[in-house]
Amino acid sequence: MLIQVKCSCGERHCPEWAIVELQGTVEAQPSLQDRIQNLQIGLLCRPSSEESYTLVVGYHELTGSKQRLKKPILVLKKMEVEDDSDSKRVELDVIGVIRHKILFKTRPKALISSRPQPAAKGKISAPASSVPN
Amino acid sequence: MDIPDLDELEWLESHAQDDDLFDDDFELDVEPPSPPSSPSLDKPPQRPPLSLPPKPPSLLNPISKKRPGSDLLNSISLDETPNHCLNSNGTNGKRSRSGEDEARSDKVSLPDCPDVFEENKEGSDDEEEWLRCPPPRDTIEEMEVVEEQERILSRYATEIDGDCMPITGLDGERVYAKICSSTEIDEEVRNRKLNFRRDHNGLLQEPVRVMMEKVEQEQFAKALQRSFEGDTVEVVPSLAPVTTEKLWVEKYAPSSFTELLSDEKTNREVLLWLKQWDSCVFGSEIKSTTDDVLTSLRRHSTGSQYLKQSYRSFSRNNRESRFNKDMTKADIELDKENSTSPGIQEMWDKKNKSSGPPEQKVLLLCGSPGLGKTTLAHVAASHCGYRVVEINASDDRSASTIEAKILDVVQMNSVIADSKPKCLVVDEIDGALGDGKGAVEIILRLLSAERKLDTGKENISQEANTGRKSSGKKQKCSVLLRPVICICNDLYAPALRPLRQVAKVHIFVQPTVSRVANRLKYICNKEGVKTSSVALSALAECTECDIRSCLNTLQFLNKKKEMLNVMDISSQVVGRKDATKSAFDVWKEIFQKQKRKSGRSSNNSSNSVSKDFEYLHSLISNRGDSELILDGIHENIFQLHYVDPLMQKTVQCLDYLGVSDVTHRYIMRTQKMSLLVYQPPIAIFIHRLIAQLERKDIQWPKSLQRHRTILAERIDMFHSWHSGISPYISRHLSTKSFVEDSISALLHILSPPSLRPVALHLLSDKERGDLVQLVNTMVSYSMTYKNIKSVRPDTWRHEDEATTIALDPPLSSFIHFKDYSSCHVDLALAVKQVLVHEVEKQKILQGSLSKSTNLHGEENHALAKNNAGTRPTSKFSFTNGAVEKKTNQKSQAVEKPELPKAADEVKSVRKTKKPSGSLTSFFSRIKEVGEKGSEVTNSDVPKSATSRRDSHPFLFKFNEGYTNAVKRPVRMREFLL
Repeated sequence: MLIQVKCSCGERHCPEWAIVELQGTVEAQPSLQDRIQNLQIGLLCRPSSEESYTLVVGYHELTGSKQRLKKPILVLKKMEVEDDSDSKRVELDVIGVIRHKILFKTRPKALISSRPQPAAKGKISAPASSVPN
Repeated sequence: MDIPDLDELEWLESHAQDDDLFDDDFELDVEPPSPPSSPSLDKPPQRPPLSLPPKPPSLLNPISKKRPGSDLLNSISLDETPNHCLNSNGTNGKRSRSGEDEARSDKVSLPDCPDVFEENKEGSDDEEEWLRCPPPRDTIEEMEVVEEQERILSRYATEIDGDCMPITGLDGERVYAKICSSTEIDEEVRNRKLNFRRDHNGLLQEPVRVMMEKVEQEQFAKALQRSFEGDTVEVVPSLAPVTTEKLWVEKYAPSSFTELLSDEKTNREVLLWLKQWDSCVFGSEIKSTTDDVLTSLRRHSTGSQYLKQSYRSFSRNNRESRFNKDMTKADIELDKENSTSPGIQEMWDKKNKSSGPPEQKVLLLCGSPGLGKTTLAHVAASHCGYRVVEINASDDRSASTIEAKILDVVQMNSVIADSKPKCLVVDEIDGALGDGKGAVEIILRLLSAERKLDTGKENISQEANTGRKSSGKKQKCSVLLRPVICICNDLYAPALRPLRQVAKVHIFVQPTVSRVANRLKYICNKEGVKTSSVALSALAECTECDIRSCLNTLQFLNKKKEMLNVMDISSQVVGRKDATKSAFDVWKEIFQKQKRKSGRSSNNSSNSVSKDFEYLHSLISNRGDSELILDGIHENIFQLHYVDPLMQKTVQCLDYLGVSDVTHRYIMRTQKMSLLVYQPPIAIFIHRLIAQLERKDIQWPKSLQRHRTILAERIDMFHSWHSGISPYISRHLSTKSFVEDSISALLHILSPPSLRPVALHLLSDKERGDLVQLVNTMVSYSMTYKNIKSVRPDTWRHEDEATTIALDPPLSSFIHFKDYSSCHVDLALAVKQVLVHEVEKQKILQGSLSKSTNLHGEENHALAKNNAGTRPTSKFSFTNGAVEKKTNQKSQAVEKPELPKAADEVKSVRKTKKPSGSLTSFFSRIKEVGEKGSEVTNSDVPKSATSRRDSHPFLFKFNEGYTNAVKRPVRMREFLL
């Protein structure tokens, strides 16, 4: 069986994604009851240097670093395409390339004041593990 | 100067009535030795000559210079003025000399001026009163005369040279009098004073007049003697013996037991005590030959003796201690074999009893000096065959030297031929106590070491002399193996206290005067001294039977070739020792009437009384510790049997003791120690009231100390309780008023007789109300009942049988007075138990109430539940108590403390559970609200963050050590379909 992988975007125009890797889990408040759409997970900041990032989730602040993946990862989108001959075909569309990941592997620091950090660089707005850079 | 004046005033006042010519106002002029001023009325012509002398200015000037207008001072000497004038009415020369005297005396008296001035100020009222009223006739007449020449009195102050003072006569006329003073006047005053004493029966032993006569006589006698000595001067040196004489004390010291002068009984007991050492020191075989029991025993155990001797000789050659020990053990066994034979059984017992060192290994002899304590110790010891080694503890001060000496004596045997065992005599052991308590401590250590030894070793030491030595060497601790006699003067010296407890104490009493006198007579006869027995007994009495000082005195007198006569002794030529008496002696003196010799009582009674007074006074004030003395009087006074049918004496005595107490308190508060002189007379007064001939045992006053500690304890208890009561009640309770007024009533309230010992649910509503009220009262006064265990705890689990329940602050002890009972009913045990629980419950309720005010509703609810829950438990415990009361004592004793306790525990568990349960339910309610609809329960999240948590929809949960956070295996087919 042949699975076709195609890239809809042009060459060198593939959007680059990044992985935020956490040692642990991000959990929604039980009171939210799955209605987590359009909720802010946290704040990802790059305070000083290129390589160090901070992520504030809830009342924890995580410190992490940007790493280059040894093997880049494609972000694919599975699509079902109607074929001529009345049969379904699965196609995978490339929607992004991941070359970097931001790894937060240290123990989170508890924030005593819950005020979020002012300098926000990016916003994570979806319950996804990858964020457009 | 001031004091004679005052005396004079007194005298004047006392004699004012005698003078018919003048009423009291005129006492100013009444001067007894000189013709009173009435003659001066008759002698106005004599006045001019006396004031004529040509030198008055020169005589008066110094005065005016020296005395800058101290009017009051001058006023005092004013009354002397005419006196002086009268005295000096001789020739000019005389007058001028007296003037010089006057000037000198002025100078002398000048420093005194301020004092006098002040004193006059104080008493100025009455002084001025009498100063202001000179006899008008007299002074005016005088004034007329005097004005021309000398101006002793004048209408104008300016006319008088020197100091003057205003005097207003009865007719209102004011005159000024000159002031002068003289030494002659002083002399006169003194004379007058002496005369004035004649009329009073003072406390002096004999009137001054008699004393003066005596002094004169003495002087006369001395002069006579001197004239005699003129003849014998040449003879005396030749008569003086060249050879140094032995002290009589040593020369005539008793050398044998029978010669001892001290009390027969004491002597015997000391000897007996020494004899008890025999078996230990000399070994049983040499034990007193008179003891037939022992001789029979010895006959019986000849075999063992032979063995002993043989081994002894052996051990001398070969000092193998182990072998010795074996041998001695064999000895013991042999002896025991002997003893098992039935015939000698009792004898053996008896022997066992008498053998071995006496129970108290130290003998303590005490008594005042010179009674022969040392002599007795020496004589008795040598009588028993000891060599006396005397250590004078007051010589060898340092503890180490004393220790070396004592150990040397007590544990070593002398190697020299004279192998008498030693007996240690520690003389004046109370003297060795200055630093380190040398001797006493060492002896005590020896004694305690002795006590630790097991009896087996002691047996060895008893059985064999040398065997003991070897075994003693093996023991590390040093052991007391020889009799030790300690001698002290004051048995109650604080440092001797430990020794006093372990030692056998003998107190020396004074030998009778006749006995001492006889002995003195004997010695005097031997020495060829002529004395009268009366004088000797007087001497003995004077020295309080101190034989040593008697003999020394006699020898001294003999040396001086003087006769001993009674007069000498009574006039205290013979030095009395200034030994301070112990407090016990003082009390004894106070409580005992002195037996008077017939000769002495023939003197007039006032004399003896004053003598008595003086003696006691000096005794008590020498002792100095008047508080202790009076304390002892108070403690012992009721033990005396004095005739007092109407209780008057007792009342008086107690009054006086009260006075002394008040005085003492005042002295202590104001530190006016000079007032202490008023304490001895009180004791003397009591002596006069209650002194008896009979002898009484006097107790050391302990009650004051005891009660003081109890008081402190109670006050402490009260305060701790007081601070526990909530302030709105405790501020109304002062210590004094509470104890005096309220406690009895409170006890009544706390133990209502209406409370029946039945189960709670059987109580009527009224009774239940009473109970609740009682519990409330108890809680608000922070009182409860408490289990009080008796002294002996049996095991850990089972509490003691005699557990009683009593009020926790033992209120009844506050009002525990002799012969007083607050007559409240003691509650039944069961009721008390109920109360314990109820009070405990009430306390917890109140505590939790005050703690959580915001949780009011729920808490109240919980309380209600609590009440419902605890009621059955308390009932349960109650029924327990009630049931077991009926069962027999023994089982109740074992079980009863258990069951209520169990109930208590159950209840307390419940109690702690209930409130906490309600609390968690309170929170869990909120939690439930929060948890509704969410499956995920997050117990780890702190609940306090509830409000904040809404701002953080997502939380991060860190997984420790979880490296595979993101990666997880995914099958390929999941991608495909």
